[in-house]
Amino acid sequence: MTQNTSFDAFTMWKGLYEKTESTWRDSIQETLQKESFAEGLGQFQSQYLQYQELVNNMTASYLKQVNMPSREEIANVATLVINVESKLDDLEDQIDGNKDNTTKEIEHLKRVVTTLDKKLDRVIQLLDKSSGSATKTNSVQIPEVSPVPAISNAKK
Amino acid sequence: MIELGTRQLEEWMDGLPKDKSYQQLKKFTEIITTDAEPEVGQTPKEVIWTKNKAKLYRYQPAMKKTNKVPILMIYALINKPYILDLYPGNSLIEHLTNKGHDVYLLDWGTPGYEDHNMKLDDYIVDYIPRAVKKVLNTSNAKEITLFGYCMGGTMTAIFTALYPQLPIRNLLLMTSPIDFGDAGLYSNWLDKRYFQLDKLVDTLGNIPFEMIDFGNKLLNPISNVVGPYVSLADRSENENFVLNWKLMQKWLNDGIPFPGASYKQWIRDFYQDNKLINDQLEVRGRKVELANINCNLLNISATRDNIALPHQIAPLNDKVSSKNKTLHSVEAGHVSVVAGRKAINEIHPYIENWITENSK
Repeated sequence: MTQNTSFDAFTMWKGLYEKTESTWRDSIQETLQKESFAEGLGQFQSQYLQYQELVNNMTASYLKQVNMPSREEIANVATLVINVESKLDDLEDQIDGNKDNTTKEIEHLKRVVTTLDKKLDRVIQLLDKSSGSATKTNSVQIPEVSPVPAISNAKK
Repeated sequence: MIELGTRQLEEWMDGLPKDKSYQQLKKFTEIITTDAEPEVGQTPKEVIWTKNKAKLYRYQPAMKKTNKVPILMIYALINKPYILDLYPGNSLIEHLTNKGHDVYLLDWGTPGYEDHNMKLDDYIVDYIPRAVKKVLNTSNAKEITLFGYCMGGTMTAIFTALYPQLPIRNLLLMTSPIDFGDAGLYSNWLDKRYFQLDKLVDTLGNIPFEMIDFGNKLLNPISNVVGPYVSLADRSENENFVLNWKLMQKWLNDGIPFPGASYKQWIRDFYQDNKLINDQLEVRGRKVELANINCNLLNISATRDNIALPHQIAPLNDKVSSKNKTLHSVEAGHVSVVAGRKAINEIHPYIENWITENSK
């Protein structure tokens, strides 16, 4: 008669976990819900924070003695950098906002200039016509009109 | 002096009998000591804006976007946001971008001591509106979908209530607590009479991740501390299980400090005074009224969630003015709602369908 007697640690561990977990879960949950647990947690927190404060104060005074910047002082420098970055971001945002307005204004200006250009063409045509007829009668030459002074004249 | 490096451990294990138990122990030991950690957050992304430690990412920018409403994901101030892009094939962000959505993520980064004065007001008023603007400009879109996970969802709901004039088409919240009247065990532990909030923040500046993690693990100590290792030992031969186990352990133990001033507000105004649901919360002097939320709303809760309890999530739907509002409950936990088999097969497609339907 043979019997498998090899020891399977994992099966044992898993079995132990499953039994323990199901057995202890409810009682642990019950404890965690108790006000006394919250009170105990608060007391532990208080002790931890007292210790931590002591460490912070000791570290700060040591750093001061050896002329080294504290965490607070280094953080202040970082804050200054963050503030500068924040201002840059605000500027970028304003430029983005202005970009939209500028694009609209340029589009508007383009339309105005195009209309003006057409009007000037008509003026030139009319001048050409009248100069043609004048040349026939008086032989007077009309100088060529460039659009740029025409615009400045038009503005005036 | 006792020195037990991995070489000594291997030598000791070589001396053990070579049965099934030995193989299991060897594999188990390899996984928790020498195996490399899996690479997380692999979906291609680019940074389109930064402010202090925060970064705004755009995912798969080269991929064709078929949905005209971009999605901005806003993460919590606890843990890192790569849970939303955990691993190829196990990533909500990858799923959404592959379906043609333009996805952005606002990652708050890791706060330093210099950020201990950062309040929730600062994140909500100075960062989120700017991020929304950047997303709309980059996508050239007229409307936006906001997605908030956990505490990030609470912050997103507050933001949406404060800025009803912004073109927010959809609001999607996942396991985001709103009503803190009964926050389970936290309500007991954070009792004003015993929990020394001011002293804690004044002494520590930022609240270390280990302290937050301790509180979360204490909710179910045996199951949270021993449970994962028992499961690993039991299923260490299953490669897929081991990969998911490593991913989850990496994320759970890869936390960030909580900025002190924000922590103080989070505990006092939410857990202790329950101001948000009662319209008593003020953000930079402005009253937060959840009734101002009028966009389409999908509010997801998880039945096994012991961090954001389902009854903390549901009351939002009664407060908002939205005509199109859905409360969706899933059989999952706080993390398995976003990563893992259930999330991949059911929750990611559900979210994608809802966003697509409400973005037409």
